[in-house]
Amino acid sequence: MTLYLALDTSTEEIAVGLGRFVVEGVHLIGEVNLDAPRASLTHLVPSIQGLVASADLEVRDIAAVIVGRGPGSFTGVRIGVATAKGIAQGLGVPLYGVGTLDAIAERFAGRDGLVGVLGDAMRREVYPALFRCVDGEVTRLTSHSVAAPAEVAEGWLDLDEPLVLAGNGLHKYADVFLSVLGDAATIAPETMWLPTGQAVLEAGWRTLSHMEQGDGDAAALLPIYTRLSDAEVNEKMLVGVETLAPASGVAGPAPEVRP
Amino acid sequence: MTARIRPMDISDLDAVMAVERACFSAPWSRGMFLDELSQGPGRSWFVADSPWGVVGYTGLMQIGPEGHVMNLAVRPDARRAGLGAALLSALLGDALHRGIDRLTLEVRPSNASALALYAAAGFVEEGRRHGYYSDSGEDALVLWSGPLGEETMSAASSTLAVRARAALADFRVLRIDEPVGDEDRDDLILAIESSCDETAAAVLRGGREVLSSVVASQIDFHSRFGGVVPEIASRKHTEAIVGVVEEALGEAGIGLSDLTAIAVTYGPGLVGALVVGVAYAKGLAFATGLPLVGVNHLEGHLFACVLSEPDVAPPLVALIVSGGHTSLVHVPEWGEYHTLGSTIDDAAGEAFDKVAKALGLGYPGGPAISRLAEQGDPAAIPFPRPMIRSADLDFSLSGLKTAVVTHIAAERRAGRELRVADIAASFQAAVIDVQVAKALRAVEECGVRTFLIGGGVAANPALRRALTAAMEARGIRVSVPPMDLCTDNAAMIAAAAHLHLWRGETLGLSAEAVPDLKLG
Repeated sequence: MTLYLALDTSTEEIAVGLGRFVVEGVHLIGEVNLDAPRASLTHLVPSIQGLVASADLEVRDIAAVIVGRGPGSFTGVRIGVATAKGIAQGLGVPLYGVGTLDAIAERFAGRDGLVGVLGDAMRREVYPALFRCVDGEVTRLTSHSVAAPAEVAEGWLDLDEPLVLAGNGLHKYADVFLSVLGDAATIAPETMWLPTGQAVLEAGWRTLSHMEQGDGDAAALLPIYTRLSDAEVNEKMLVGVETLAPASGVAGPAPEVRP
Repeated sequence: MTARIRPMDISDLDAVMAVERACFSAPWSRGMFLDELSQGPGRSWFVADSPWGVVGYTGLMQIGPEGHVMNLAVRPDARRAGLGAALLSALLGDALHRGIDRLTLEVRPSNASALALYAAAGFVEEGRRHGYYSDSGEDALVLWSGPLGEETMSAASSTLAVRARAALADFRVLRIDEPVGDEDRDDLILAIESSCDETAAAVLRGGREVLSSVVASQIDFHSRFGGVVPEIASRKHTEAIVGVVEEALGEAGIGLSDLTAIAVTYGPGLVGALVVGVAYAKGLAFATGLPLVGVNHLEGHLFACVLSEPDVAPPLVALIVSGGHTSLVHVPEWGEYHTLGSTIDDAAGEAFDKVAKALGLGYPGGPAISRLAEQGDPAAIPFPRPMIRSADLDFSLSGLKTAVVTHIAAERRAGRELRVADIAASFQAAVIDVQVAKALRAVEECGVRTFLIGGGVAANPALRRALTAAMEARGIRVSVPPMDLCTDNAAMIAAAAHLHLWRGETLGLSAEAVPDLKLG
């Protein structure tokens, strides 16, 4: 059975999982979830190395790599994505991407209802994503974005349905969501706010089971930023155009946006 | 190739753990090794350090007049090269030095090669521990050495030496104490460079022959901002890196499995940009099992000269001038660097960019100013030559830049049309005068006969001409790389990596990017 390596460093935690996929889901072999704020570059590869060795496996046994593409800390996301690209290319195996917030939502797969995940986007904003869990199936209802917490909370209030909240954006904005959503919102325990190695594997399994994994080309996989660089945001604000980042994350040298 | 037996320290633990896991079904944990290393005088631990890093180790515990050989392991892919014999020989020497009378150890009866090694060293079977190995239930043979005296030692060590040499003659995988000059190697190194706004990869054979050198420039994405935007640089590196490496391997006509090592720039530079290259290179090294060599970007600029003129050799003085750096470096030998002086404010390339911006010439400023300067009068405006007479070898370019900007503003206020070519030529002349004066002083102070120029600003034709003329007038040899090796590229990183690979200087997989990495 195919061995999958999953990793995510978009948050303050390094999440690494090793598992095999079966029809029913993920057969977890092991995971490392290491609190490593600002130290994921140092600890990521040794964590993978340790996990592979302690499972009595060899790195060349890995048949595919799954990486959390964010959104999250720009540098954190890139450390995970660049490392995953190196591993996949080095092994000559496919690289698949999953959303980091999707991986967090997977942790609630066993509980039917809405799950709102809020990643900390700094600068008084969050990365929001809404999911519906039904009978073990997790479906994303919103696209990747960045927004002010109050704005997100108002939008979710309009759903008129109870929802569970998770994500490291709650460290700063739990109060905002509770005051807007009132009884409709339940804050998940803090231990459920971050992706785990298993959750990244689960998100990967779901992507593959829906055949939405893409072609596995390590060169083509990109992080999810949602925001442009400050330089480009400022430039676009001067001419009053949309500042959301395109898939490549860089608006490019297009002359029409020159201030 | 050369391997060295030396004491183990905690920086070896990653490699030792890799050996441990490759050799034993019930490997020791990292914590156990850490614990051993902190045990103090009762223990000795040695590693076999090869161009691929640490590939074997052994340890000794002293209990009064007896010594217990704790472990002896050589990674499977480095076996049959005499390294086990070399490690045991080091251990015997250490035991003798400690005044140990006899050595003992346990070994699996099924481990024929270990038994042969211990027999060669004079160990004999004196007992058996039943069911000692928990994984297989196998017995352990208990071996003891003869009394360790000078005589038995020399007999044992000469037997071991013969054994080591015989193994080497057969396999020539590793040699012990027979270093070969690194110029004779035909290693293949893949290097990755992402310290600023170029994503680059190159394949180099034998440290000299460039099989491919691919540079993906991001300049179009930065130019309208008048300088490199770090976040954009990091994003473009992430996007480009796999394709750039694929192209470099493809042009070189090789695959990853043909490589000897992977090299990466780990500083100095933009931290976010460096992180992408280092993370990616670590992933690649981990997946391929190849050694990872970390290269200082500035050292790379020096090795650009070696690529174009292979006979350039220290002792020498080098001037590194680029968008991020302006420094004079004394190089008594490769790998040894003493920074004699550097800019206390702006780098030369930065000053060019800022002046170009003030003149409305766009980014990057170097080529634009240099082209305009060809048509201007370098003596038209007497801009200051900051610190030209200061006794040290430091530079300052911020004041000069301010003088130019002030001049431009004054001309505009006076309603005069800007003599752009004259300003460009006069500014460039001031920069060059200072560089030449300081470079001459550095060469004189160090008493060297060779001078190198490296870095993106070394592509400036007037600077090259002025430095070359001044040095050659004093009989100093000057080496300036061709234009494409002046600007950031990965071939120069691979050339520097070649030196470090054969000195056994590699990075572990926990390596970091070091944005303020110093040279020497």
